[in-house]
Amino acid sequence: MLGFADPQRRLRRRGVAFVAWAAGWLRVLRFGGAAIVAALSPSVYNPATRAMVARQIYFTGWQVLPGFALFVAVLSAVLVRIVEETARDFGLSQFASEMTLRVLLLELIPITAALFVSLRSGAAINTEIALMNLRNEIDALARAGVDPMRFEFVPRLVGCVVSVISLTVLSCALALLIAYLGVYGFFLWGVPDFTRSVGNVFNAQITIGLALKCLFFGAAVGVIPMGEALAGAREAHVAPITVLRGMMRLFFVLFLIEVGSLAFKYW
Amino acid sequence: MTWVEDDAARQAAIAARPQAALVSAELPLRANLAALENIALVPQYRRDLDWADASGEAMALLEQLGCTGCAGKRDATLSHEERFQVKLLRAVAATPALVVIERPGYLLPDTHYPPFVEAALAALQDRFGEGMVIDYAWNAPLYRPR
Repeated sequence: MLGFADPQRRLRRRGVAFVAWAAGWLRVLRFGGAAIVAALSPSVYNPATRAMVARQIYFTGWQVLPGFALFVAVLSAVLVRIVEETARDFGLSQFASEMTLRVLLLELIPITAALFVSLRSGAAINTEIALMNLRNEIDALARAGVDPMRFEFVPRLVGCVVSVISLTVLSCALALLIAYLGVYGFFLWGVPDFTRSVGNVFNAQITIGLALKCLFFGAAVGVIPMGEALAGAREAHVAPITVLRGMMRLFFVLFLIEVGSLAFKYW
Repeated sequence: MTWVEDDAARQAAIAARPQAALVSAELPLRANLAALENIALVPQYRRDLDWADASGEAMALLEQLGCTGCAGKRDATLSHEERFQVKLLRAVAATPALVVIERPGYLLPDTHYPPFVEAALAALQDRFGEGMVIDYAWNAPLYRPR
């Protein structure tokens, strides 16, 4: 009975929660817009900012490259084997390499790269910016005449975008090699057929779509953890919730981008 | 020297000098950077200097104040005195017209701070126009009469 006693209050509570949720998204979007515009402005890049960008690319992309390449190699080998076997069972061997390429290169590798960078760097960025916000370090930098956008935010954003794109491209090259070896073995006679399959998959529309998807993934991985961390309350007990909320928003957006790209491609 | 009676007066005194380079407990150092890097950030971003020139300037400031030993330390490992010195150097790195040190007792809890602050400002007097301390009136007896 208690649950139905005051529907007006329950409605108000839900309304307040919805407004807070929408305001959170708005703050993240506003920060994202400012960060992306700053990242596209050449005047932002002085020697110190360029050095910070290089450092972020090293931490976000270069350090994870061996582990990620190994992961992609194993994933590709397993998937190629499964698709090859299944296609042979159904008498569809001629479509095996194209199917493998579509699943691996267009769908699995880009989202895996984005998730890899999110888990390794997105969570760290979220925590670090939340702690900086809590300790008032961002205001301290601004008061000292150091623009936090140039020193802290733009390098992290660019680092994430470059890392997601680089990991995707390098992993796709590795997956292509593994797919060829899985289908044709260590022989060169399959090169013309395989090249034709790659050409069929990567037409202009698909290639542009893949490039845009990687760009959106990278921007989301860079912007959302920072935007959420900056919007969090400056109280120590709220920091874990801020990080959690940032990662949840990030995963939601990554899957939204993936679903959007699938819908765009296949409908 | 500016004496204030309470927190509201302290905040008003700071707000009245928005262009001043401020040394305050509320403006911490960047935690993941060494003292030298914290100071070098100012010329790196205010005058677009590269790291070699900016770190050279920062080291010269540390030498001038006689605290080169803390150049490689991060915030968590600095003593209260070293942290104060690094914050002061970060403030003067931009050669400001006015340096304001607010609540020095809060920054230097284990030190008889009036002579320490005075000596630090004297050592760096060619790096800024005017130095000012904002402190609570009840700390006035700690300062030597002028």
